[in-house]
Amino acid sequence: MIETNLHGQMAEAAVAAASVPILELRGLEKRYGATHALKPADLSFARGEIHAIVGENGAGKSTLIKLLTGVITRTSGEVFWEGQPVGLATPHEAIEFGINAVHQEVVLCRHLTVAANMFLGDEDVNFGLLRKGEMTRRAQAILDDLGFQLPAHVLLGDLTIGQQQLIATARAAIRGTRFLIFDEPTAYLTRTEAAQLFALIGRLKERGVTIVYISHRLEEVFELSDRVSILRDGTLVGTRVTSETNETELISLMINRSLEQIYHKEFFQAGEMLLEAKNLSGPGFHDVSLSVRAGQIVGLYGLIGAGRSEFVMSLFGRQRKTGGSIFWQGKEVDIRSERQAMDLGIALAPESRRDQGLCINLPVGFNLNLPIFSHITMAGLVPFSADRQRADRQIADLQVKTSGRGALVSSLSGGNQQKIVIGKWLNHGARLFIFDEPTVGVDVGTKAEIYRLLARLLAEGAGIILISSYLPEVYELADELHVFRRGEDIARHAYHTASHEEILSEAIGV
Amino acid sequence: MSTDTKTATVVRKSNANWLFGLTLIGLLLAMCIVLSLTTKSFLTEANIMNLMRQGSMIAILAVGETFVIITTGIDLSVGAVVGFCTVIAAWLLTHDFSITTTIIVTLAVGVAIGMFHGFGIVQMGLPPFIITLATLTSLRGIGLLVTNGATINIVNDTFTEFSRNDFVGLPNLFWMVILVGIPAYIFLHHSRYGRYIFAVGSNMEAARLSGVNVKLTVYLAYTLSSTCAAFVGLLLAARIGVGNAMQADGWELQAIASSVIGGTSLFGAIGSVHGPLIGAFILATINNGANLLNVNSFWQRIITGLLIILIVYFDQLRRRRG
Repeated sequence: MIETNLHGQMAEAAVAAASVPILELRGLEKRYGATHALKPADLSFARGEIHAIVGENGAGKSTLIKLLTGVITRTSGEVFWEGQPVGLATPHEAIEFGINAVHQEVVLCRHLTVAANMFLGDEDVNFGLLRKGEMTRRAQAILDDLGFQLPAHVLLGDLTIGQQQLIATARAAIRGTRFLIFDEPTAYLTRTEAAQLFALIGRLKERGVTIVYISHRLEEVFELSDRVSILRDGTLVGTRVTSETNETELISLMINRSLEQIYHKEFFQAGEMLLEAKNLSGPGFHDVSLSVRAGQIVGLYGLIGAGRSEFVMSLFGRQRKTGGSIFWQGKEVDIRSERQAMDLGIALAPESRRDQGLCINLPVGFNLNLPIFSHITMAGLVPFSADRQRADRQIADLQVKTSGRGALVSSLSGGNQQKIVIGKWLNHGARLFIFDEPTVGVDVGTKAEIYRLLARLLAEGAGIILISSYLPEVYELADELHVFRRGEDIARHAYHTASHEEILSEAIGV
Repeated sequence: MSTDTKTATVVRKSNANWLFGLTLIGLLLAMCIVLSLTTKSFLTEANIMNLMRQGSMIAILAVGETFVIITTGIDLSVGAVVGFCTVIAAWLLTHDFSITTTIIVTLAVGVAIGMFHGFGIVQMGLPPFIITLATLTSLRGIGLLVTNGATINIVNDTFTEFSRNDFVGLPNLFWMVILVGIPAYIFLHHSRYGRYIFAVGSNMEAARLSGVNVKLTVYLAYTLSSTCAAFVGLLLAARIGVGNAMQADGWELQAIASSVIGGTSLFGAIGSVHGPLIGAFILATINNGANLLNVNSFWQRIITGLLIILIVYFDQLRRRRG
């Protein structure tokens, strides 16, 4: 370990000596209130290098990208561009320097042509009129030169997402880019498209462009990069010369964490069978079999987009299954609607608070009682007293920090909002609780409260499906852990029978 | 998203709704006081009764429209539904159907139109703007086709006198506002589906995942809107004594304006029943006052437009600050 470190430092010194680094970060730090998204980091990027950044979900990679592209401003630290201190406070400033990013989701105009997108904001104009033909010809010439077999005159939306990503890259390439960041660029690409992208990255490197390459796929990191930096829990834990490290070392750096002892785990005798999915398939997942018993937490681990959320959405009736069968307490059921799932006794706290979990501009009490209005309705009306009592009791039970049930949910902190997402199901009398990423963006104290809540539900005879992209969470809490990769349930482990390294390798697929 | 910084700034907003309602009533009263002082004819019994009649029909339309707007939808067809329903009512009465039958059938037509809107939005996936724009133009067309462009005269005194008569000192038309307003208030604020209307307008996906029947809620909102419009169609037919498909031209815009002045947010999930009612009477008072002050009627439209900008702007400011 020490030796590799030494090698790393020597190599770093050698690269640095070659020229002034194009971009250097000294003590770069970002806090969101109490959350420390990026702890002070020192990092330098050499001209013309391909620098990979790896780390688990939530390790601080996206915070780093946002800082580099000026989307968010740093809390403290200094940034040097070619040796000069710079502010890098706005996206505009970043673009002026030649810093560009290609995101996983393409942020271009789907309804314009490929050529129009490539020249968007920089159109070729003659006496105030667009020279469309000329632009299409130039765009086509660039695409041909890059070796992409793509037409310039079609609408961007007619291309596959992978092809759109290539266009986004080409667009960055022709804009005098000197520093290009790729955020998981191959997530949606086919093998051929990925090869084309790698060829383009190689050409850019030859032209002296610095590439920052963020990916979960370690094989790509080894194929492409010169150096690799590892982030873990917001800390930059090290930088290695890629040729002098290996997958095992990277994975152990990614997960070798100082565990805060917040995981509250109680063991219960597994009770009756609640839910069984047999060879279930649907949009985004394929051939998944698993079962949940009362008193048990079944954990689903995988990278974002591995099909875990899609799987539970099908259990909850949000999306129709395309194959396989579901058994509820031993009886086969066909769950066609959310209502039906709820009536069986299934509750789901979805992944995205803002998009799926809460009516953000309505009061706390309203959100807490939304699933149970049908229970407390009398003679067609919702009695004020029942409404008020239930809301107040929930707020007290969950210790939601709010001025009262009439306060809007948007005025609450993330942790308190999450308590409502979860809490609104507690009065509903469900037997199976599905929690999809229950602790994302939640402070440590609230996390511990949520874990104690899970234990309380188990004690009352419920079963739980827990989805998390944060391995320690599912590792420490789940009685049975399923690992998902690309829509398939590829492994299952009983409590603490596999190592973190094994599980992460299964999820990444190395 | 820190806990300590956020909780400190938590503001109670539930009472703001009533505060805004009081501000609107204040505005309405201020306008009345100014008009009573500047004109001799404003504060006369005849004029006040007339004002109430003028405002009543838009007020009922605005209540229906508000249900739809809270779901983040829009109903452009209400004016056309009113016109179309005057034709239906007039045709039925001239063909010797009883008043009861006429009322039931006309309201049923309103329900059917609303269900059709729900079908277009939920089942066909059309944007509310488009489906209700389509019915706006086609209902007028059907009405003209049925009557061959002519006006049907209603010769039924019991029916037409209703709109001119008073009850306990208030015009019957104004009683109709109360008849619609109170159940509407109870429905919107105290019933399960009333709350679902807010939930759907705030976050459709969250509502669905909470077990709310989103489709039924959308159907319900549009059906209520069209039924209110059909009811106004009956009232208008009684007031003018004719059925004509081109009546109530532009009323949809007045209904939307009343609703928005009354604090309904076009982004959904914010609205009440009392707000649009007051909004409708503010608009009626502006028109009435402008007439009394001999302001060119073209100016009335401009003033209404400016007022909408002003009120909604201040409402936005208030919400943003809160």
